[in-house]
Amino acid sequence: MPQGIGKIKIRLPRTVRKGQIITVKTLIIHPMETGLRKNKKTKKKIPAYYINDVSVYYGDQLITHENWSIAVSANPFMSFDLKVDKAAPLKIVWKDIKGGIYQKTVQIEPR
Amino acid sequence: MSKKISILLKMLVFPAAVMLVTGTLGSMTGAQAATQSGSKIEQLTQSMSYAEYQKRYEKYYGNFTAQMAENGNPADFLIDDGKDLANKVVGSKGKSCASCHGKDALKLKGAATTFPKYNAKLKGVMTLALQINTCLKNQMGAKPLKYESYDQLALTLYVKSLSNGMPIQVSIDGPAKPFYEKGKIAYYKRHGQLNFSCAICHVKYAGYKARSNLISNNKHHADHWPCYRLKWGKTGSLQRRFRGCMKNMRVKKPPFQSEELRNLELYLTYIDNGDRIQVPGMRM
Repeated sequence: MPQGIGKIKIRLPRTVRKGQIITVKTLIIHPMETGLRKNKKTKKKIPAYYINDVSVYYGDQLITHENWSIAVSANPFMSFDLKVDKAAPLKIVWKDIKGGIYQKTVQIEPR
Repeated sequence: MSKKISILLKMLVFPAAVMLVTGTLGSMTGAQAATQSGSKIEQLTQSMSYAEYQKRYEKYYGNFTAQMAENGNPADFLIDDGKDLANKVVGSKGKSCASCHGKDALKLKGAATTFPKYNAKLKGVMTLALQINTCLKNQMGAKPLKYESYDQLALTLYVKSLSNGMPIQVSIDGPAKPFYEKGKIAYYKRHGQLNFSCAICHVKYAGYKARSNLISNNKHHADHWPCYRLKWGKTGSLQRRFRGCMKNMRVKKPPFQSEELRNLELYLTYIDNGDRIQVPGMRM
Protein backbone atom coordinates (compact mmCIF):
# COMPACT_ATOMS: atom_id res chain seq x y z
CA MET A 1 0.00 0.00 0.00
CA PRO A 2 1.47 3.38 -0.92
CA GLN A 3 2.39 5.70 1.87
CA GLY A 4 0.72 8.98 2.68
CA ILE A 5 -2.91 7.93 2.06
CA GLY A 6 -5.43 10.23 3.66
CA LYS A 7 -3.25 13.32 3.92
CA ILE A 8 -5.45 16.34 3.38
CA LYS A 9 -4.90 19.96 2.47
CA ILE A 10 -7.68 22.56 2.56
CA ARG A 11 -7.05 26.09 1.31
CA LEU A 12 -9.16 29.14 2.08
CA PRO A 13 -8.62 32.83 1.27
CA ARG A 14 -6.55 34.62 3.90
CA THR A 15 -9.24 37.12 4.85
CA VAL A 16 -12.96 36.38 4.62
CA ARG A 17 -15.75 38.98 4.83
CA LYS A 18 -19.34 38.21 5.73
CA GLY A 19 -21.54 37.72 2.67
CA GLN A 20 -18.53 37.02 0.44
CA ILE A 21 -18.48 34.05 -1.94
CA ILE A 22 -15.17 32.19 -1.48
CA THR A 23 -13.56 29.27 -3.30
CA VAL A 24 -12.51 26.35 -1.11
CA LYS A 25 -9.74 24.16 -2.56
CA THR A 26 -9.09 20.67 -1.24
CA LEU A 27 -6.55 17.97 -2.01
CA ILE A 28 -6.37 14.41 -0.68
CA ILE A 29 -3.74 11.74 -1.25
CA HIS A 30 -5.36 8.52 -2.45
CA PRO A 31 -4.34 5.94 -5.12
CA MET A 32 -7.92 5.69 -6.58
CA GLU A 33 -7.25 2.21 -7.96
CA THR A 34 -9.95 1.32 -10.51
CA GLY A 35 -9.88 -2.45 -10.18
CA LEU A 36 -9.42 -2.81 -13.93
CA ARG A 37 -5.63 -2.61 -14.01
CA LYS A 38 -3.29 -5.59 -13.97
CA ASN A 39 0.03 -6.00 -12.27
CA LYS A 40 2.36 -6.37 -15.24
CA LYS A 41 4.68 -8.87 -13.56
CA THR A 42 2.26 -11.19 -11.74
CA LYS A 43 -0.62 -10.74 -14.26
CA LYS A 44 -3.08 -10.44 -11.40
CA LYS A 45 -5.74 -7.78 -11.13
CA ILE A 46 -5.09 -4.95 -8.68
CA PRO A 47 -8.17 -4.77 -6.42
CA ALA A 48 -10.37 -1.67 -6.59
CA TYR A 49 -9.67 0.98 -3.98
CA TYR A 50 -11.23 4.37 -4.49
CA ILE A 51 -13.16 7.13 -2.75
CA ASN A 52 -16.89 6.91 -3.47
CA ASP A 53 -18.50 9.30 -1.03
CA VAL A 54 -17.68 12.91 -0.20
CA SER A 55 -19.72 15.20 2.02
CA VAL A 56 -19.19 18.77 3.16
CA TYR A 57 -20.67 20.22 6.35
CA TYR A 58 -20.82 23.94 7.19
CA GLY A 59 -21.74 24.09 10.86
CA ASP A 60 -24.50 21.48 11.26
CA GLN A 61 -25.76 21.87 7.71
CA LEU A 62 -24.87 19.40 4.95
CA ILE A 63 -23.87 21.61 2.04
CA THR A 64 -23.01 19.09 -0.63
CA HIS A 65 -22.79 15.36 -1.07
CA GLU A 66 -20.97 13.72 -3.98
CA ASN A 67 -20.76 10.17 -5.30
CA TRP A 68 -17.40 9.54 -6.93
CA SER A 69 -16.48 6.57 -9.09
CA ILE A 70 -13.43 5.05 -10.76
CA ALA A 71 -13.27 7.87 -13.31
CA VAL A 72 -11.79 10.27 -10.77
CA SER A 73 -8.01 10.63 -10.93
CA ALA A 74 -5.45 9.67 -8.30
CA ASN A 75 -4.84 12.30 -5.61
CA PRO A 76 -8.15 14.04 -6.36
CA PHE A 77 -8.44 17.80 -6.19
CA MET A 78 -11.86 19.28 -5.45
CA SER A 79 -12.95 22.92 -5.26
CA PHE A 80 -16.31 24.51 -4.63
CA ASP A 81 -17.80 27.94 -3.98
CA LEU A 82 -19.23 28.82 -0.59
CA LYS A 83 -21.26 31.81 0.59
CA VAL A 84 -19.99 32.85 4.01
CA ASP A 85 -22.86 33.88 6.28
CA LYS A 86 -21.75 32.66 9.71
CA ALA A 87 -18.70 31.80 11.79
CA ALA A 88 -18.72 28.00 11.84
CA PRO A 89 -16.43 25.02 11.25
CA LEU A 90 -16.21 23.60 7.72
CA LYS A 91 -15.94 19.82 7.87
CA ILE A 92 -15.14 17.68 4.82
CA VAL A 93 -15.40 13.88 4.96
CA TRP A 94 -14.07 11.42 2.37
CA LYS A 95 -15.06 7.73 2.52
CA ASP A 96 -13.50 4.96 0.44
CA ILE A 97 -14.82 1.51 -0.46
CA LYS A 98 -12.53 -0.31 2.00
CA GLY A 99 -14.11 1.57 4.91
CA GLY A 100 -11.47 4.26 5.32
CA ILE A 101 -12.79 7.61 6.59
CA TYR A 102 -10.66 10.71 6.21
CA GLN A 103 -11.80 14.07 7.52
CA LYS A 104 -10.53 17.52 8.26
CA THR A 105 -12.11 20.57 9.85
CA VAL A 106 -11.20 24.20 9.33
CA GLN A 107 -12.71 27.17 11.14
CA ILE A 108 -14.25 29.92 9.01
CA GLU A 109 -14.29 33.26 10.80
CA PRO A 110 -15.65 36.15 8.74
CA ARG A 111 -14.70 39.67 9.78
CA MET B 1 -7.65 -16.63 -38.89
CA SER B 2 -8.25 -13.09 -37.67
CA LYS B 3 -5.38 -13.52 -35.21
CA LYS B 4 -3.01 -14.31 -38.04
CA ILE B 5 -4.10 -11.25 -39.94
CA SER B 6 -3.61 -9.00 -36.93
CA ILE B 7 -0.08 -10.34 -36.41
CA LEU B 8 0.70 -9.73 -40.06
CA LEU B 9 -0.66 -6.22 -39.79
CA LYS B 10 1.48 -5.53 -36.72
CA MET B 11 4.55 -6.72 -38.59
CA LEU B 12 3.75 -4.33 -41.39
CA VAL B 13 2.84 -1.38 -39.19
CA PHE B 14 5.87 -1.43 -36.91
CA PRO B 15 8.59 -0.68 -39.50
CA ALA B 16 6.30 1.91 -41.04
CA ALA B 17 6.01 3.69 -37.69
CA VAL B 18 9.77 3.65 -37.18
CA MET B 19 10.28 5.09 -40.63
CA LEU B 20 7.74 7.79 -39.86
CA VAL B 21 9.61 8.84 -36.72
CA THR B 22 13.00 8.92 -38.39
CA GLY B 23 11.46 10.66 -41.35
CA THR B 24 9.97 13.49 -39.32
CA LEU B 25 12.98 13.91 -37.06
CA GLY B 26 15.62 14.55 -39.66
CA SER B 27 16.39 12.35 -42.62
CA MET B 28 19.33 10.56 -40.99
CA THR B 29 20.45 7.40 -42.73
CA GLY B 30 22.26 4.59 -40.99
CA ALA B 31 25.56 5.26 -42.74
CA GLN B 32 25.59 8.91 -41.67
CA ALA B 33 24.83 8.00 -38.07
CA ALA B 34 27.60 5.43 -37.92
CA THR B 35 30.23 8.04 -38.71
CA GLN B 36 28.90 10.35 -36.01
CA SER B 37 28.67 7.80 -33.20
CA GLY B 38 31.54 7.14 -30.84
CA SER B 39 33.18 9.69 -28.55
CA LYS B 40 32.93 12.57 -31.00
CA ILE B 41 30.40 15.27 -30.22
CA GLU B 42 27.90 15.89 -32.97
CA GLN B 43 27.61 19.51 -34.05
CA LEU B 44 24.01 20.57 -33.56
CA THR B 45 22.49 24.04 -33.49
CA GLN B 46 19.84 25.05 -30.97
CA SER B 47 16.52 25.20 -32.79
CA MET B 48 15.09 28.13 -30.86
CA SER B 49 15.60 30.21 -27.72
CA TYR B 50 13.94 29.27 -24.44
CA ALA B 51 11.60 32.28 -24.62
CA GLU B 52 10.31 31.20 -28.00
CA TYR B 53 9.85 27.63 -26.80
CA GLN B 54 7.84 28.91 -23.85
CA LYS B 55 5.58 30.86 -26.21
CA ARG B 56 4.89 27.67 -28.15
CA TYR B 57 4.26 25.71 -24.96
CA GLU B 58 1.63 28.22 -23.85
CA LYS B 59 0.01 28.12 -27.28
CA TYR B 60 -0.33 24.32 -27.20
CA TYR B 61 -0.99 23.56 -23.55
CA GLY B 62 -1.87 26.85 -21.83
CA ASN B 63 -0.80 27.25 -18.22
CA PHE B 64 -2.85 24.53 -16.57
CA THR B 65 0.10 22.76 -14.92
CA ALA B 66 1.15 26.03 -13.30
CA GLN B 67 -2.42 26.55 -12.08
CA MET B 68 -2.61 23.01 -10.70
CA ALA B 69 0.68 23.45 -8.88
CA GLU B 70 -0.67 26.67 -7.35
CA ASN B 71 -3.88 25.00 -6.20
CA GLY B 72 -2.02 22.24 -4.41
CA ASN B 73 0.89 20.05 -5.39
CA PRO B 74 0.60 16.48 -4.02
CA ALA B 75 4.39 16.47 -3.59
CA ASP B 76 4.04 19.10 -0.83
CA PHE B 77 3.12 16.31 1.58
CA LEU B 78 6.50 14.67 0.99
CA ILE B 79 8.27 17.78 2.23
CA ASP B 80 6.38 17.60 5.54
CA ASP B 81 7.24 13.91 5.89
CA GLY B 82 10.88 14.61 5.00
CA LYS B 83 11.03 17.10 7.85
CA ASP B 84 9.86 14.42 10.30
CA LEU B 85 12.35 11.92 8.85
CA ALA B 86 15.22 14.39 9.33
CA ASN B 87 14.49 14.47 13.08
CA LYS B 88 13.94 10.72 13.40
CA VAL B 89 16.68 8.64 15.05
CA VAL B 90 17.65 5.59 12.96
CA GLY B 91 20.59 3.21 12.80
CA SER B 92 23.05 1.61 15.18
CA LYS B 93 24.80 4.85 16.23
CA GLY B 94 21.68 6.48 17.66
CA LYS B 95 21.86 9.52 15.44
CA SER B 96 19.44 11.45 13.28
CA CYS B 97 20.10 14.00 10.52
CA ALA B 98 19.32 16.69 13.10
CA SER B 99 22.14 15.65 15.47
CA CYS B 100 24.79 16.86 12.97
CA HIS B 101 22.91 19.43 10.88
CA GLY B 102 20.94 21.27 13.58
CA LYS B 103 17.23 21.19 14.34
CA ASP B 104 15.16 20.19 11.28
CA ALA B 105 18.55 19.93 9.46
CA LEU B 106 18.34 23.70 8.88
CA LYS B 107 22.14 24.00 8.56
CA LEU B 108 21.77 22.33 5.16
CA LYS B 109 20.21 25.52 3.77
CA GLY B 110 21.91 26.20 0.44
CA ALA B 111 23.69 22.84 0.40
CA ALA B 112 21.63 21.51 -2.50
CA THR B 113 22.78 24.30 -4.84
CA THR B 114 26.24 22.76 -5.36
CA PHE B 115 25.01 19.21 -6.09
CA PRO B 116 25.88 17.13 -8.09
CA LYS B 117 29.60 17.60 -7.32
CA TYR B 118 32.88 15.70 -7.40
CA ASN B 119 33.64 13.42 -4.47
CA ALA B 120 37.20 12.20 -3.93
CA LYS B 121 36.22 9.08 -1.94
CA LEU B 122 33.74 7.98 -4.58
CA LYS B 123 36.08 9.02 -7.43
CA GLY B 124 33.01 10.23 -9.24
CA VAL B 125 30.03 12.55 -9.17
CA MET B 126 28.01 12.68 -5.96
CA THR B 127 24.31 13.42 -6.32
CA LEU B 128 22.07 14.54 -3.48
CA ALA B 129 20.21 11.22 -3.23
CA LEU B 130 23.47 9.28 -3.14
CA GLN B 131 24.89 11.67 -0.52
CA ILE B 132 21.88 11.06 1.74
CA ASN B 133 22.31 7.29 1.43
CA THR B 134 26.06 7.54 2.06
CA CYS B 135 25.38 9.61 5.18
CA LEU B 136 22.84 7.05 6.40
CA LYS B 137 25.28 4.19 5.86
CA ASN B 138 28.54 5.68 7.13
CA GLN B 139 27.59 8.31 9.73
CA MET B 140 24.39 6.85 11.19
CA GLY B 141 24.95 3.12 10.71
CA ALA B 142 21.54 2.70 9.12
CA LYS B 143 20.38 0.78 6.10
CA PRO B 144 20.48 2.91 2.93
CA LEU B 145 17.05 3.73 1.50
CA LYS B 146 15.88 2.23 -1.75
CA TYR B 147 15.96 4.69 -4.65
CA GLU B 148 12.56 6.05 -5.72
CA SER B 149 11.04 4.86 -2.44
CA TYR B 150 8.76 7.24 -0.54
CA ASP B 151 11.24 7.95 2.27
CA GLN B 152 14.19 8.50 -0.06
CA LEU B 153 12.22 10.98 -2.18
CA ALA B 154 10.83 12.72 0.93
CA LEU B 155 14.30 13.29 2.43
CA THR B 156 15.79 14.45 -0.90
CA LEU B 157 12.87 16.77 -1.51
CA TYR B 158 13.04 18.24 2.00
CA VAL B 159 16.79 18.93 1.83
CA LYS B 160 16.40 20.46 -1.62
CA SER B 161 13.42 22.57 -0.56
CA LEU B 162 15.63 24.26 2.08
CA SER B 163 17.51 25.97 -0.77
CA ASN B 164 14.39 27.02 -2.67
CA GLY B 165 14.91 30.31 -4.49
CA MET B 166 18.73 30.09 -4.45
CA PRO B 167 20.65 29.96 -7.75
CA ILE B 168 22.29 26.68 -8.79
CA GLN B 169 26.10 26.84 -8.59
CA VAL B 170 27.46 23.57 -9.95
CA SER B 171 31.23 23.52 -10.43
CA ILE B 172 32.91 21.62 -13.27
CA ASP B 173 36.46 22.81 -12.57
CA GLY B 174 39.34 20.54 -11.59
CA PRO B 175 38.58 16.86 -10.97
CA ALA B 176 34.90 17.19 -12.00
CA LYS B 177 35.84 18.18 -15.56
CA PRO B 178 36.30 14.66 -17.05
CA PHE B 179 32.95 13.57 -15.61
CA TYR B 180 31.26 16.60 -17.14
CA GLU B 181 32.83 15.70 -20.50
CA LYS B 182 31.61 12.11 -20.13
CA GLY B 183 28.10 13.39 -19.42
CA LYS B 184 28.24 15.64 -22.46
CA ILE B 185 29.35 12.77 -24.68
CA ALA B 186 26.52 10.63 -23.31
CA TYR B 187 24.08 13.46 -24.07
CA TYR B 188 25.21 13.73 -27.69
CA LYS B 189 25.85 10.03 -28.35
CA ARG B 190 23.43 8.25 -30.65
CA HIS B 191 22.35 4.90 -29.30
CA GLY B 192 19.46 2.47 -29.14
CA GLN B 193 17.29 0.82 -31.75
CA LEU B 194 15.97 4.12 -33.07
CA ASN B 195 19.43 5.73 -33.22
CA PHE B 196 18.50 8.81 -31.19
CA SER B 197 20.57 10.89 -28.84
CA CYS B 198 19.23 13.16 -26.09
CA ALA B 199 20.48 16.18 -28.02
CA ILE B 200 18.67 15.34 -31.25
CA CYS B 201 15.33 15.98 -29.58
CA HIS B 202 16.21 18.53 -26.92
CA VAL B 203 18.68 20.67 -28.89
CA LYS B 204 18.08 20.29 -32.62
CA TYR B 205 14.31 19.77 -32.61
CA ALA B 206 13.34 21.39 -29.30
CA GLY B 207 10.06 23.25 -29.73
CA TYR B 208 8.88 21.05 -32.59
CA LYS B 209 6.58 18.08 -32.30
CA ALA B 210 7.23 14.34 -31.99
CA ARG B 211 3.87 12.81 -32.84
CA SER B 212 1.51 14.91 -30.69
CA ASN B 213 4.00 15.94 -28.02
CA LEU B 214 5.93 19.19 -27.89
CA ILE B 215 9.63 18.49 -27.34
CA SER B 216 11.01 20.52 -24.46
CA ASN B 217 14.05 22.78 -24.53
CA ASN B 218 17.00 21.55 -22.46
CA LYS B 219 17.09 24.74 -20.39
CA HIS B 220 15.28 24.51 -17.01
CA HIS B 221 15.30 20.73 -17.16
CA ALA B 222 17.06 20.12 -13.85
CA ASP B 223 15.95 22.87 -11.47
CA HIS B 224 12.62 21.51 -10.22
CA TRP B 225 13.27 17.80 -9.53
CA PRO B 226 12.11 15.67 -7.70
CA CYS B 227 8.70 16.67 -9.00
CA TYR B 228 5.15 15.41 -9.27
CA ARG B 229 4.40 14.07 -12.74
CA LEU B 230 0.78 13.72 -13.82
CA LYS B 231 1.52 10.75 -16.08
CA TRP B 232 3.02 8.79 -13.20
CA GLY B 233 0.50 10.02 -10.63
CA LYS B 234 3.49 10.04 -8.32
CA THR B 235 6.56 11.98 -7.32
CA GLY B 236 9.75 10.88 -9.01
CA SER B 237 13.36 11.89 -9.48
CA LEU B 238 15.24 13.19 -12.51
CA GLN B 239 16.91 9.81 -12.96
CA ARG B 240 13.55 8.09 -13.25
CA ARG B 241 12.73 10.51 -16.06
CA PHE B 242 16.08 9.73 -17.74
CA ARG B 243 15.19 6.05 -17.67
CA GLY B 244 11.76 6.79 -19.12
CA CYS B 245 13.34 8.66 -22.03
CA MET B 246 15.79 5.79 -22.53
CA LYS B 247 12.91 3.33 -22.73
CA ASN B 248 11.34 5.42 -25.50
CA MET B 249 14.68 5.45 -27.33
CA ARG B 250 14.88 1.63 -26.93
CA VAL B 251 18.15 1.81 -25.00
CA LYS B 252 19.19 -0.63 -22.28
CA LYS B 253 18.42 1.24 -19.06
CA PRO B 254 21.27 1.73 -16.57
CA PRO B 255 20.34 1.28 -12.87
CA PHE B 256 19.59 4.22 -10.54
CA GLN B 257 22.63 6.24 -9.42
CA SER B 258 24.90 4.40 -11.84
CA GLU B 259 27.91 6.35 -13.11
CA GLU B 260 26.29 7.01 -16.47
CA LEU B 261 23.18 8.61 -15.03
CA ARG B 262 25.13 10.64 -12.48
CA ASN B 263 27.38 12.11 -15.19
CA LEU B 264 24.30 12.93 -17.24
CA GLU B 265 22.73 14.66 -14.25
CA LEU B 266 25.88 16.77 -13.77
CA TYR B 267 25.83 17.85 -17.41
CA LEU B 268 22.15 18.76 -17.35
CA THR B 269 22.38 20.63 -14.04
CA TYR B 270 25.38 22.62 -15.28
CA ILE B 271 23.24 23.95 -18.15
CA ASP B 272 20.88 25.40 -15.53
CA ASN B 273 23.64 27.18 -13.57
CA GLY B 274 22.29 30.47 -12.24
CA ASP B 275 18.63 29.43 -12.36
CA ARG B 276 16.74 29.29 -9.11
CA ILE B 277 15.79 26.00 -7.46
CA GLN B 278 12.01 25.54 -7.30
CA VAL B 279 10.94 22.24 -5.76
CA PRO B 280 8.57 20.47 -5.89
CA GLY B 281 7.76 20.99 -9.55
CA MET B 282 4.76 19.78 -11.47
CA ARG B 283 4.98 18.35 -14.97
CA MET B 284 2.59 16.74 -17.38
